[in-house]
Amino acid sequence: MPSRSEAAGPNPPDLAAGADVVTVARPTDLAGARDAVVTAGTAGTSVLIRGGGTKLGWWARPRGGSSPVEAGPSSGRASSVDNQRPSTVIDTRGLDQLIHHEPGDMTATVQAGMRLDLLQAALAPAGQWLAIDPPRRGGVVTVGGVFAANDAGPRRFGYGGVRDLVIGSTTVLADGAVSRSGGTVIKNVAGYDLNKLWCGSLGTLGLVVELTVRLHPLPEATKTVRIPAAAASASSFVTDLLASPVECVAVEWSGDALVIQLEGRAAGLDARLDQLARLAGEHGLEPELVDDDVWPALREAHGGAPGATVVRASTLPSQLGAVSDALAAAAGTDVSVTLHSHAGLGLHDAVLTGGDASTQAAVIGTLRTAVEALGGHVVVRDRPPELDDHLDPWGVPGSAIELMRSVKRAVDPEWRFAPGRFVGGI
Amino acid sequence: MVDDADAVPTELQSELAEILGPEGLITERSQRRTYESDGLTAYRAVPALVALPVSTEQVSGVMRACARHGVPLVPRGAGTGLSGGALPHPDGVLIVLSRMRRIVDVDVLNQRITVEPGVTNAAVSRAVAPHQLYYAPDPSSQIVCSIGGNVAENSGGAHCLKYGFTTHHVLGCELVLPDGQVVQVGAATLDPPGYDLRGVLVGSEGTLGVVTQVTLRLLRRPESVRTLVADFTDPASAGTAVSAIVAAGVVPAAVEMMDNLAIQACESDAAAGFDVNAGAALIVELDGPEAECDASFAEVVALCQESGATAIRIADQPDERARVWQGRKAAFAAMGRLAPDYLVQDGVIPRTRLGECLARIAELAADAELRVANVFHAGDGNLHPLVLFDSSRPGETERAEALSTAIAELCVSFGGSLSGEHGIGADKACSMPKMFGAEDLAIMDRVRAAFDPDGRCNPDKVLPTPRLCGERPGRYRPHPLETAGVIERW
Ligand SMILES: Cc1cc2nc3c(=O)[nH]c(=O)nc-3n(C[C@H](O)[C@H](O)[C@H](O)COP(=O)(O)OP(=O)(O)OC[C@H]3O[C@@H](n4cnc5c(N)ncnc54)[C@H](O)[C@@H]3O)c2cc1C
Repeated sequence: MPSRSEAAGPNPPDLAAGADVVTVARPTDLAGARDAVVTAGTAGTSVLIRGGGTKLGWWARPRGGSSPVEAGPSSGRASSVDNQRPSTVIDTRGLDQLIHHEPGDMTATVQAGMRLDLLQAALAPAGQWLAIDPPRRGGVVTVGGVFAANDAGPRRFGYGGVRDLVIGSTTVLADGAVSRSGGTVIKNVAGYDLNKLWCGSLGTLGLVVELTVRLHPLPEATKTVRIPAAAASASSFVTDLLASPVECVAVEWSGDALVIQLEGRAAGLDARLDQLARLAGEHGLEPELVDDDVWPALREAHGGAPGATVVRASTLPSQLGAVSDALAAAAGTDVSVTLHSHAGLGLHDAVLTGGDASTQAAVIGTLRTAVEALGGHVVVRDRPPELDDHLDPWGVPGSAIELMRSVKRAVDPEWRFAPGRFVGGI
Repeated sequence: MVDDADAVPTELQSELAEILGPEGLITERSQRRTYESDGLTAYRAVPALVALPVSTEQVSGVMRACARHGVPLVPRGAGTGLSGGALPHPDGVLIVLSRMRRIVDVDVLNQRITVEPGVTNAAVSRAVAPHQLYYAPDPSSQIVCSIGGNVAENSGGAHCLKYGFTTHHVLGCELVLPDGQVVQVGAATLDPPGYDLRGVLVGSEGTLGVVTQVTLRLLRRPESVRTLVADFTDPASAGTAVSAIVAAGVVPAAVEMMDNLAIQACESDAAAGFDVNAGAALIVELDGPEAECDASFAEVVALCQESGATAIRIADQPDERARVWQGRKAAFAAMGRLAPDYLVQDGVIPRTRLGECLARIAELAADAELRVANVFHAGDGNLHPLVLFDSSRPGETERAEALSTAIAELCVSFGGSLSGEHGIGADKACSMPKMFGAEDLAIMDRVRAAFDPDGRCNPDKVLPTPRLCGERPGRYRPHPLETAGVIERW
């Protein structure tokens, strides 16, 4: 069997709090991945999936003895599962192969545990890349992990998210069924697009083993512009930028300045830079051309430093100023806060340090109330586990929560995958 | 009174009349008959009742009533679908959304619009045009087809190569579940917590519920647009040009191809200036920042010439460009000029296998003694072979249908898809096992049941059922992608 399995020692420190890990499986191919899931089922353990291990802290800490699942009005079947039962960890990092790259079609099929940086390196000689740039956390993040977490970086503004670039997937479900969805062509509407369901499901529905992705050409030239601006003026500049014909691939705001990336043909970038400068001038802002090497730090800032609490607020792009104000009002003296915003997208990451869990929870609660009043929502990503004693990291679920529970029941009827760690106790 | 006996319980009819008022319920058989098919007219069924709601509350009320009585329902937008997705159920209620056509909210600053499902695709772009904004997915049927239908089909269009399909532009939907519950999936803001049910809903062909409101992403109009038409001696060399353009790292806004038969049809219909003697015509459109667009355009012209273009016409004047697109978008309708009847096929292949695939299509057509005209979204390998026939000749309809199905399944054998944009509907449900294995289909069915446990929402569409397609053998069959050499079994 092309899979290694071993008894776990003490819990690996980076695994979700509260998990009693009895086995770690390290499959290297689809057959091994399927075996690992089936074996966990036979043993009656839960399954916790990990790739690079950088998002395990995003899971909620399972509460109480069983999932707070009631029979939905339409389900007719109650489901109650012991969230604290022992777990099998499936480590995807042995699934590390680029299975196929078809440069002519600009597609590639990759095993889910392949490191993103290694994938990009393998595609680059053909002048192509998978157009996602999430925080890489020292290089350990895997393609499947980024997909399962729906993580993204600055250039989501120009290319869309990983959700938009995955065109096919192979996923092992709790009963060992292998589900393929989508295909190997960019355009395809046959059957339900289950890729979307797996994307962002944080390992709560099944084990994603392979992904087929759409690729993009590497840009011929890039330019980076930094525009010092406080949040409020950055905010109004950004909405004007969106309304202008100046095409950008990234529009970030971090602390005290906007940073904007332009990509394209060398022939035309200067003209766009001029347009951008003119627009900034109209706002009384002073842009400066900076080196492209500012990007890795900007990208990583969204992930926060180890030990920091990262709070993701999602609003409309025009609301950056309001988010920044709300955060300033919420922060007390003990907790220090920095804001890193994908300003063009309305996705803001507040990084909190200092203070104890209850103080941080108070800050987050105040921010959440303000952001919800704006029509947005707040999810807590990395955090000290104790924070969950004070606050649900996922917030109050929306009107579709019963439907989400029905989907969970339909796909993973025994609640085998990471029970209790997702939205609304899923 | 429903005049075909007992198709639905009489109490249901009076309940719906109560909910919808006299304007909102059609019971008269002759009027119901006008809804008997969508754009795929080979399939017909007269619905037992036709509901024309004007609000989410009415839709919800109708669906609750149907649930109480265990009656199936089928959503319908403008009825332009080409896969029988809106084919009525003879014992069910057809819910027609065309009276829900309010534009609910336009957020110019954040480039979003919220509309009711009956608003047409073109009306969205029209509503925001004064702000230099537009809605990117542009199906050829855009003047008529509804946003609700677009969401259900994950519709595409010529400009989807660069800008993506409907799924990339739908941010959120209000959805009425088959039991009448109203839920919000997705949101105007990105990444609301939880599963991306909006992503599953888009392209689900009306099988998961009725969409009653949609929030869409809008785009800023590009600064510059350049368009050319290049003639080639045959589609294979036009295909070489497409590959060369892509390999050069250019991402055109649109790349469309027509073969000689298609050109003849379009030209006699629209007189858009295509050369009827060309073996194939390629329409390439670039857009974006002016200087870059110009640089790429020069490169595309050179690449077309290197690939053997016999003539290149630059259509830069807005009216000239509009004429080219009108010609292309009228392609299906224009087939009426070549034959009394035609079938539109919609398959996808990896772009790199275009030449091979066209050769096989030509062979299949020759075997069937029928003509096939080809129109395609060449940039993403989405083929629309049009099978021409004459239904007045005995046996020809059956031959045409068999040929059309064979072409779709041929695309799958090339590692492609049964459908790029028109959907599976009633038409291709029985071909689904050619593309997906039993386990793949079973999980799709389970997801469907999570939304619609009683299986009343657009039943017998998308997924094959034994009733529809006959029992499939239980023994192991290789996964279709395995047979195509795309995947390996573990
Ligand atoms: C000449 C012509 C050209 C075309 N060109 C293109 C093209 O370029 N690209 C393309 O993608 N398609 C094209 N189509 C196909 C068709 O126009 C699209 O599929 C369109 O999206 C269907 O919209 P509709 O409003 O007519 O939907 P309908 O045909 O009424 O319904 C289509 C499906 O959507 C469901 N549905 C409709 N409204 C709702 C709702 N509110 N909630 C839930 N389900 C709903 C129905 O049940 C059905 O399954 C073309 C069709 C024609 C006739």
